[in-house]
This record gives sequence, C-alpha cells and structure tokens, in this order.
Amino acid sequence: MTHQFRSAAVVALAITLALSGSYAAAAPAPEPRPQDEPDIFLVLDPNQRAQFRLAYPASTLAPGLGAEVRDAAREFEETLRTDLEGSGIFLMQGPQQLEVLTLTGDQATDAELYMSLGNELLLETDVSTEGNRLVVEGRVTQLEGRRFVLGKRYRGSLAVARRMAHTFADEIIRHFTARPGLSLTSIAFSSDRDGANRQEIYVMDYDGWNQRPLTAHQTLSFSPDWSPSNDYLAYVSYLDGDPGIYSVEIKSGNKKPIITSSTLDISPSFSPDGRSIAISRSVGRGNSEIFVIDRDGGNLKQLTRSSGIDTNPAWSPDGKEIAFTSSRGGSPQIYVMSVDGSNLRRVTFEGDYNDGAAWDPKGTRLVHATRRGNRFDLAITDLVTLESKTLKRSDGSHESPSFSPDGRKIVYASTRGGSTQIYVLDLAGGAETQLTRTGNNRSPSWSGFVQ
Amino acid sequence: MNRKWTMAVWVVLVALAVVGYGCGKKAPETVEAPMAPTPPSTGPADDIADSPAPVVDDDRKLEGMDLEMEEFNRFARERGLIGDVYFDFDKYDLKPEARDRLAKNAAFLRDYDTVTVTIEGHCDERGTNEYNIALGDRRANAAADYIASLGISGSRMRTVSYGEENPVCRESNESCWQQNRRARFVVTSK
Repeated sequence: MTHQFRSAAVVALAITLALSGSYAAAAPAPEPRPQDEPDIFLVLDPNQRAQFRLAYPASTLAPGLGAEVRDAAREFEETLRTDLEGSGIFLMQGPQQLEVLTLTGDQATDAELYMSLGNELLLETDVSTEGNRLVVEGRVTQLEGRRFVLGKRYRGSLAVARRMAHTFADEIIRHFTARPGLSLTSIAFSSDRDGANRQEIYVMDYDGWNQRPLTAHQTLSFSPDWSPSNDYLAYVSYLDGDPGIYSVEIKSGNKKPIITSSTLDISPSFSPDGRSIAISRSVGRGNSEIFVIDRDGGNLKQLTRSSGIDTNPAWSPDGKEIAFTSSRGGSPQIYVMSVDGSNLRRVTFEGDYNDGAAWDPKGTRLVHATRRGNRFDLAITDLVTLESKTLKRSDGSHESPSFSPDGRKIVYASTRGGSTQIYVLDLAGGAETQLTRTGNNRSPSWSGFVQ
Repeated sequence: MNRKWTMAVWVVLVALAVVGYGCGKKAPETVEAPMAPTPPSTGPADDIADSPAPVVDDDRKLEGMDLEMEEFNRFARERGLIGDVYFDFDKYDLKPEARDRLAKNAAFLRDYDTVTVTIEGHCDERGTNEYNIALGDRRANAAADYIASLGISGSRMRTVSYGEENPVCRESNESCWQQNRRARFVVTSK
C-alpha cells in the first residue's frame, strides 16, 4: 500500500516538475506599449454566441531554427488555434483562408487586406529561441485603426509548447471576456486502462491531452471531485475493501483517507468554500443518506432521513443548497434541499429515473442523466420552471455530466462507441469532441477556472 | 477442531445409548469421554457404523473443508450449497426464488458453522454508476438480513457493493443484465 502511494507520488511529482520546472512566463512584450482599455467587451451568456472575427496567419519563425523547434512551434500554433476556436468567442481565419491575400509587408495595407475578408482582429505569433529554449511572442491587434490590444512573451523548454499556448489563449480570452478561459482547466476521471476490474483516478488537460494517473491503488477508484482551489481531488476508493472517501493532492500525489468505515461512503462533492464535503453514506441495512463532513472527515452531520436510497449529492455554486438523488418517491429522482436539510423539494418530474445532477456555474440549472428505455440521455432541468430539456438523443448511454466552469460545455461519459469514453459537448454549437480512447473512462469532473 | 469435537460427542452419545442398553443406568458414570473413541473390537461399535445416525451424515456435509478457499467456493457452488440471488431492474426486494436460494445458503451456514461469507451487491449497466453503488448495497443487505432472520449471526456476513463496476457478464442484453443484478456469495473464511 505504502509502496503504491509512493510510486504514484513519484509519477505525479515528475509530471509536476516537467510542467513547471523549466517553464516560466517571461517579461512583458519587449517594447511596452500603453495598454488601452479594451474597446470590445463581452459579458458572456452560455446561450449567447457573440463572436469576434480573428485572423491568425502562420507564425513567423526566426531564421535557422532546428527541426525540433519548428515542431514545437507548430504544436504551439495548433494548440492556440484550437483553444481560441473552441472558446466559442472567435470566428477564426487561418493560413488556408488567408492564403488568397497577397500581403505587402506594409502594416496599414495588410490590415486593409485582412479586413477585406471580414476580420476585426489580427493575431500574430513570432517564434525564436534563447539557447535551447523556445521563445514565443504573441500580439493581438485591432485592425480598424491598427490599435494594439495585447501582447505577451513566453519562454520555456520545447516540452511545454502546449502549456505556453494554453496560457496565451487564456490571456486572450480573459481580455475579451473579463474572466479566464478553459485553456488551463483540467478534467479528472476514472479509467480501467491499467487492468480489468480496476479503476484508477486520472487527470487530463481540458482538451484531452496529457492524460496521467494520480492513483495506483489497483482496486476500484472513481468519482473524483475537485476542491474549489483545484489543488485536491476527493474520490471514492475500495482501498480497504469497502468504498471510502480519500483525497489526493494534484501536485504531490499525496493521498489520505477522508472518511472510511465498514459501510459505504461515496459520491464526494466539495462545498464552494472548500471547507466541507457532501457525501452519501450508509446508515446500515443498505440505507444510504446524505451527510456533510468537514474536509478532513470530521464533524459528520446527517441531512436526510428517508427509507429510500439517497445518494449523489452536488453542492450548489452559491454554497446554499445541495442537489441529490433519492428513491423516496418510488423511483430515482433529483431533489434539492438547503445545506441544513430544510426546504426539501423534488425538481425532476419527467421520466422514471433521473440521477447524477451537476449544477451549472450560475446555479440556475442542473444537468443530469435521464433514463430512456435501456439507456440514458443527458437533460438540463431549469430550477425555476422545472422544465427538462433533453440534450442528447443518440446511440449509447450518456451519464455523469459535469459543466465546464464557463457553463459553455458539458463533459460526460458515453457508451456510444461500444466502450465507455469521455466526450465534451459544446452547448452553443452542439459540437462534440471525444477526449479518451484507451480502456473505459468515466465519472469525469471539470476543474474550476485557473485564476 | 470444533467439527471433530462434535463428532466425538456424537460417537460418545451413540456409544452410550448402545452400551446403555446392555449395562443399565450405571454405564454413564463408568464411560468417560476420552475412552469413547476406542471400542473397535466390541460388537456395539459396528452397530454405530450401520445406523443412520447423524455421525455419518455430518461427515458428508463437512466435505470440502480441507480445500483451498477458491476451490472450496467452487465446490460449494457446484454442490448447490451456496448460490447467488437475482433481482429485478432497480429493485432490491427478494423474489420467492431468491428466498428459496437464501434458505439453502442459510442451511449451508448452519452446517458449516465456522464459515464466514462476503455478500457482494451487483447491478446491471442500465442504472447510473453512482446510484448503482447504493442500489448494490441495498441488495447485499437485503440478502444478509434475510439470512440473519433465519438465525445466522450477522457477524458471519459482510456486505459490499460493487454497483455495476464488476459485472459477471459484459453484453448488453437482458440475459446478461439479469446475471449481473445479483447478490453474490463468497466464502471468505472457514
């Protein structure tokens, strides 16, 4: 046991070093220009699809760069492009669309040319090296009047090109939306890729890259939930034979038990202040109830008392309520109560089986799984009108949804391809991206914004 | 060890009964337990072997006790001494055939009175993963409670739910789902 813990910690530590050790965001742009107040300011609404038209031609490479640097430069550029396109904030034209232009090298003339294709903004990236380190300078210009919008300069080992791109994308999105983007967020999940009847906790970048294990318990471990600071995950593991709740620190890989007993303790959900965790716990004879505990496992407080199954609590973003699943009415349905157990009300009324509620970041809607015959679709239930809208009507079963912190996307597990894999659904456009492909992967949980 | 004692007691009792016929009421005081297993050359001892007395029966029931745990589980299943019970979708109430099966499992635990079992609750894939963990716990406990109601000590049964995480069958059809909706009995010590 100790050995497993130690090896997992070493892996996690090595990853942390690889990511952070050789990478540093460098000084601001070389010629500091006055940073204007943004001319374009967008208050995001997940349902609203306001977009900026952005031209991003191929990066300018310093002469004489080696093949490895050029590969890293390509990785940076592709990652940045994907991040910005995926944000839903930009309608982008890349090298292919811009090929028709005959650029002159004169900034004023070229700006006119970019605008002739409908662009409002220009993104340029220049790649060079300092010693064996990659240096990327990026600039965003408003084409009308050629006004500088923002510029950043990054330096690091070739291995962190993707992370540089995520960081820059985050800066750009932050500038136009006044809040961070998803580029630096992560998704935790459980995977059986290391062996049958065994699931380990994994974490990956929001785009599916950089998948790495956080546990090597060699038993069932699942249902990870992020602490609000993104430093820890609480998760369920059968380490001592029964399902209990443990935590793992992302950076160090250090793990410790939060609450383990001879009965069932499952479904951890952090309070938004990070001080408490809602769980489902058996009070004997298989009767599970919703409890709240301190984050170290102390101060056990029982919130529900019903003879039915009460499970899958989800703490609301404002910290005042907890959604959970209960069979008290005869079939599994979703209920909401205040954190002291009062004001209990049922919120799902369509279908005979609703479970796995996750709050949208505004706290006005729940996304959950809803049963259709032998499979599950995803549905969103409005907490004011109590109307449910089905999101997915495709082959396979879809469950365990979790909102992205900007409320624009939902990550979930689906069996549509035979095995269970993790997908992201873009709520605005309906586009879907498959993030995992190895083994079976489930119970995804999207981290909060990286501030 | 317990087993041997029970046998020894039976031998003594039967021997006492047989001897008692011939010797009248004085016999019990004269025959002590340590002497009981050694009357091989006397007539009455043969009668014991021929009789339908519980000694022989008991011996048969305790077959398999010297097997390795995994082998013992296989043995007990193949002989029908223990078996799993099955549930309907999203249900944890015991059907009549489940009660019949549990009564046999209880009889096994009564006969093999040193055995302890783990009762695993399992579900089919059609529920959600998280809910199924709680449902599997209900199923395992429903089975354990029923066996306890038949007089078996709860301390000899441990329950654990695996939800839909450890299916016995991995296809998506009703026959497979039915096999997965079960409380599985595993002997963990004897």
